[in-house]
Amino acid sequence: MGISRRQFLGWMGATGMGIAAGKSSYAAGNKHFTGYPESFGVLFDSTLCIGCRSCEAACNKVNQLPDPDKPFDDLSVLNKTRRTDAKAYTVVNRHDDTAGNKGPVFGKIQCNHCLEPACASACFVRAFKKTPQGAVTYDASVCVGCRYCMIACPFYVPAYEYDEPLTPRVMKCTMCHPRILEGKLPGCVEACPKEALSFGKREDLIQLGRQRIRRLPDRYVDHIYGEHEMGGTSWLYLSGVPFEKLGMREDLGVTAAPNLTSGALASVPIIAGLWPVLLTGIYAVSKRKDKIAAEEKRQAVENALSKAAADAEAEIAKALKQAEIANKRKIEVEVKRAVEQATAKKTEEES
Amino acid sequence: MRKAKSLLRWVGMSTAFAGLLAFGFKVQGVEKAVAEAGDINSISENIRADIIVIDGLRAFGKLDRPEVIFLHDAHTQALKKKDKDCKTCHLVEKNRPAGAQQDALSFRFKRLEDAGRDQMMEIYHAECIACHKETARAGDKSGPVEKCGQCHRKKVPYLANRQPIVMDKSLHYRHVEATKDEAGEEKCGLCHHEYDDIAKKIHYVKDKEGSCRYCHKSEPGKTEKDRMPLREALHLSCVNCHRKAIAEKKDPDQKIGAVTCVGCHDLEEQEKIKKIPDVPRLKRKQPDYVLLQGAKKNVSEAKKEDEATGVAPVAFNHVAHEGYQETCRSCHHADLTSCTEACHTPEGVKDGNYIQLAQAAHDLRSNHSCMGCHGIQQKKKECSGCHATMFRSFNQETAACRTCHIKLPENLMVEQAKLESVAKQLVDSRKYTKTTYAKEDIPEKVVIKVLADQYEPAEFPHRKIVDTLVKKVETSNLATYFHREKGTLCQGCHHNSPPDKKPPRCRSCHGKPFDAHAVLRPGMKGAYHQQCIGCHQNMGLEKPKSTDCAGCHKEKKKQS
Repeated sequence: MGISRRQFLGWMGATGMGIAAGKSSYAAGNKHFTGYPESFGVLFDSTLCIGCRSCEAACNKVNQLPDPDKPFDDLSVLNKTRRTDAKAYTVVNRHDDTAGNKGPVFGKIQCNHCLEPACASACFVRAFKKTPQGAVTYDASVCVGCRYCMIACPFYVPAYEYDEPLTPRVMKCTMCHPRILEGKLPGCVEACPKEALSFGKREDLIQLGRQRIRRLPDRYVDHIYGEHEMGGTSWLYLSGVPFEKLGMREDLGVTAAPNLTSGALASVPIIAGLWPVLLTGIYAVSKRKDKIAAEEKRQAVENALSKAAADAEAEIAKALKQAEIANKRKIEVEVKRAVEQATAKKTEEES
Repeated sequence: MRKAKSLLRWVGMSTAFAGLLAFGFKVQGVEKAVAEAGDINSISENIRADIIVIDGLRAFGKLDRPEVIFLHDAHTQALKKKDKDCKTCHLVEKNRPAGAQQDALSFRFKRLEDAGRDQMMEIYHAECIACHKETARAGDKSGPVEKCGQCHRKKVPYLANRQPIVMDKSLHYRHVEATKDEAGEEKCGLCHHEYDDIAKKIHYVKDKEGSCRYCHKSEPGKTEKDRMPLREALHLSCVNCHRKAIAEKKDPDQKIGAVTCVGCHDLEEQEKIKKIPDVPRLKRKQPDYVLLQGAKKNVSEAKKEDEATGVAPVAFNHVAHEGYQETCRSCHHADLTSCTEACHTPEGVKDGNYIQLAQAAHDLRSNHSCMGCHGIQQKKKECSGCHATMFRSFNQETAACRTCHIKLPENLMVEQAKLESVAKQLVDSRKYTKTTYAKEDIPEKVVIKVLADQYEPAEFPHRKIVDTLVKKVETSNLATYFHREKGTLCQGCHHNSPPDKKPPRCRSCHGKPFDAHAVLRPGMKGAYHQQCIGCHQNMGLEKPKSTDCAGCHKEKKKQS
């Protein structure tokens, strides 16, 4: 089995592209993930919800969660806005401040089962998994309890069993994944007396939402929440008031969480691979520079020394020469004087 | 001696401490007041109808300072206390505009014209501050006198809740009555007029009266040349007339319209205005009945067209609709001529914004069209129980078109027929369905047990509900005419099947929920709850509460 030239070039090209376009690695492919085909979802129509909390009760029963402080038929619970916690995978909230509406409106919170879940992308032990059926499931056996998923979730859904000392788990709606596999409806959907929750293939639910809006345009806000939010979610919402009034975030954008982080994360291997080379290179370059500088210094000192020695020698030679001349002249003068003295002496003697 | 000195020191220290403490409290108090003023909704006094934004200089470019929020009625009251009137601030119109009363006041502050930026600025600064100073000198509470920011405030703790006042039939009638002369003659010309473009004058033309808005438009820049914008025209007309009437008032019990902002534009004050229940019909030579038929003028032509196309002219009961509407503008949104004459021709013309007659009559989203307005009527509580969840469409079966486009009768006396009398004949021939099936055909109770599981079967008081529905609609001509058959009313619940004494059972259609082939069809449980609770909510029926399960079906006793 050999590698063809074409294959080799392909690999090289792909590697090069991957490195060059690390920031938008998903864009380098021609595929945009729009969810598993045929996956299931739930459509919550808030205009139909009456706030009876049947869904909460059913969820509690199906998932064998501990009994709540107040029974589910006590609607005074709705006087306070609640969030999901370790003992309640789903909560219904009443929103009164909706001007122009006939009465209060109700919102339901649970895991939205994102098509590309932020929790799963944040989890480094792969405890979360988007199943082809639509649910985002959690595997407590691998969870290390870092709770990154709780920080990553844009909907603030996952909760943690803080009062469980030995085996705390992250707690969130499972979309009743085991029940779906058995061909049953999720607990909340089955319990809702008004069919405010509709279960079906996500594509069909989007069609259902569109048809409801088209049929009664005065009743609905012309938007299906979750169709595109955070790249799309398996849980979809219809409302007669702006979704913000249902306590839902409208600032999330349409990009899936993993796509937001993939750029930064894709650059990790590059940085991890390239930095040692780069740093070694910089180290080598600066080392070499030092070496060259030292050599040059030595050379310069040597030069300076030799030049100084030569200068000194020349000076000595010059001095010697001068001294010689001076000596010569001195000798000559002395000789001359001696000669003159001798001559004078001779003349004295003669006179 | 020494003891006295130490005592003095203690006294001094405690005085200083007390002073500091008092100062602290005072500062806190001020902060609290500011905080309260910031929270507008907490003080009803700060939600006012008399807020005027002085920003006239905007016409000359960008403002150097924030606009001034002026509380008109606060000033009126302050002046009243000193026996000063409107003339303190408003000048008499010298060349009074056409239509204005004698002695009419201009609605500009201390000027008749907006001459220019500097002039306007000078007037406001000089006049406002001078009056404030004078008031302050007299020892009264006055407005700001020196600091710019006290008038030109960036943030003001006021919220405007000015409500437009509607000259409805009742209010119009009261004006008609109040302005009659001694001989009992109506004086429509006091308000209504036409404008003569050549003579540049207004004059009253009988039977040409219409809403002020037809000429004086409320949108800026839409009013034609030489005509005042709506706001100016109305204030000049209404307030000056009210002023005059108040000045001439003899009977202390006589009710005269307001001259303050609040008097007309405050919701509470508006509610105090007496409503006359049965206002006599306005007289303007309008027809009692109209045959709406596009460009066709001749009955025999219309008849031929009906036979050819099935689109017969619609007989419109004008006199009845006058009674249903508060103002003529509800339908006649641009003028009081016929819809189709110049604007909504069958093919559409520019003057009618290319809206054809068919659109003008059938547009579901318009408040002025026939079907649009009928849709609004369906939103009433007594109707919305059934109609709120019904899909409305312009496309209907031919039989439904015939509800309005009645086939012209064979025995119609074409030769002598006047269009109006044909219309009357057609209207008179209409049949109203005020009852439904006979009592014995309506089951008294229906026990819904198909789903009984957690709860006992629900006992549904079927006949009581039918009787209630009949009672709610029997007085409405709209409902009893459009509910064509005895079973039409039943179709509110027994939908999607033809009206019949024995409609199919609910479970013939509704079964398992979430059928992907019929996504809009709820399952059995959803269908019952949506139908019952939805209708109760839409009709505003409080009992039983939508979350009171046992209110409809008793809880099943657990078998122990």
